Amino acid sequence: MGVNPLDIIREYLPFLASGTLFTIGFSLGGIIFGTILGLFICFGKMIRNKLLRAPFVCYITFFRGTPLYVQILIIHFGLVPLIFHQSNGIVAGVIALSLNEAAYIAEVFRAGIQSIDEGQTEAARSLGMDRLQAMRYVILPQAVRRVLPPMGNEFISLIKDSSLIAAIAAPELTYWAQAMGAQYAIVWTPYLTISFIYLILTLTMSFLVNRLERRMATK
Amino acid sequence: MMIKVEKLKKTFGENEVLKDINLDVEKQEVVVVIGPSGSGKSTLLRCINQLETITSGHVFIEGTDISDKNANINKIREDVGMVFQQFNLFPHMTVRDNIMLAPTKVKKVSKDKAKAKAMDLLGKVGLAEKADAYPDSLSGGQKQRIAIARALAMEPKMMLFDEPTSALDPEMVGEVLDVMKQLAEDGMTMVVVTHEMGFAREVGDRVVFMDGGYIVEENEPKQLFEHPQEERTKAFLSKVL
Ligand SMILES: Nc1ncnc2c1ncn2[C@@H]1O[C@H](COP(=O)(O)OP(=O)(O)O)[C@@H](O)[C@H]1O
Ligand SMILES: [Mg+2]
Repeated sequence: MGVNPLDIIREYLPFLASGTLFTIGFSLGGIIFGTILGLFICFGKMIRNKLLRAPFVCYITFFRGTPLYVQILIIHFGLVPLIFHQSNGIVAGVIALSLNEAAYIAEVFRAGIQSIDEGQTEAARSLGMDRLQAMRYVILPQAVRRVLPPMGNEFISLIKDSSLIAAIAAPELTYWAQAMGAQYAIVWTPYLTISFIYLILTLTMSFLVNRLERRMATK
Repeated sequence: MMIKVEKLKKTFGENEVLKDINLDVEKQEVVVVIGPSGSGKSTLLRCINQLETITSGHVFIEGTDISDKNANINKIREDVGMVFQQFNLFPHMTVRDNIMLAPTKVKKVSKDKAKAKAMDLLGKVGLAEKADAYPDSLSGGQKQRIAIARALAMEPKMMLFDEPTSALDPEMVGEVLDVMKQLAEDGMTMVVVTHEMGFAREVGDRVVFMDGGYIVEENEPKQLFEHPQEERTKAFLSKVL
């Protein structure tokens, strides 16, 4: 063999760079869509009527109770072709990560909302606020602060889990590491390289969440 | 008649907590509710502003049956202020914002007007200098005075107090009772659940003794404290007086 690892990395640098951007993109997509959808599902799950609540409960149960990898396969080979009449790893990747993230975010948010003392709602209602106003002005602002740390953990998991979509040829970091490894029949160089990049991404995320937390705490 | 409670029953599952409550509160009257823990005092107050749905019977606020499906409970609650044992201030807002929130969001009062009103009320409860403080930095007595100011900001026609001084250190009880006394003197209609018998005697127009989900006895403070008619009232008073 005798190929210098640095030469291989240099050769793959453009791919690793675009792979990093894709990983960031997939993660951001999953975080943004997952949070929006997750909030919606969270409120769905808090509906009092059992029948109306059922679909949201099923959603959360399914996406938390089955492997993300299997969900990715179902969405890539089943759902996306069904809707778009062709497969597309990037679209399937974003959808799978968002749908999965939404289930976790929904639970994090629900726990956050329910951790706020019942007396807060009662005080708000006793002042004449309706349920929506109490939620919006009193409960949610407090819940958001409380869910920030667990949300941060979910976001970090999402960055790591995005590596699974390499399996459907979405051109993110792990995909290019596999390509690199296959071309040169090597293991250490590609996987340690992307491990390092993943670490930078997750540490950056936890730094950002920490800062946001501190800023909200001092407000 | 400000508040009329008629044949009120309230059950939690199997547990019948209010068994047959009848109570009238006149305009500007101060009714003090006393009774042992678990007798249903809080539940009664909470039924009066529908924080608990009533099982049967009626509660009328200024003649409106609040359990009627067509009654606008949010509108009615604007007229019925409530003060809780645990204060329930909003910890993410300054004292001033706590007081301004409901007037601006519910009554759509302008920010300027709400602010002026908040400062006025803060002055009345003796805490003008705390306008920009957060609730966590206040003592219990200060918190409860803010909670009273917050309720008053909606300009309610009547106020419910659920053991407003029970969570306070003894040295802070007085400052809260003073605010309530002033409120009574200004003509507020009040229903006060409390263990402060001195307050009941001095400020109350009528004292209601509850036990086991019933109103056992009610009378003018002097009469009730000095000449209780029922055995259960006598037993309770002998313990607390
Ligand atoms: N939300 C509730 N669910 C079930 N039981 C309740 C609830 N609230 C009060 N109770 C019960 O009702 C009874 C009366 O409570 P409460 O009205 O708080 O009494 P008091 O204020 O006189 O101490 C108690 O036995 C209490 O356990
Ligand atoms: Mg009580």
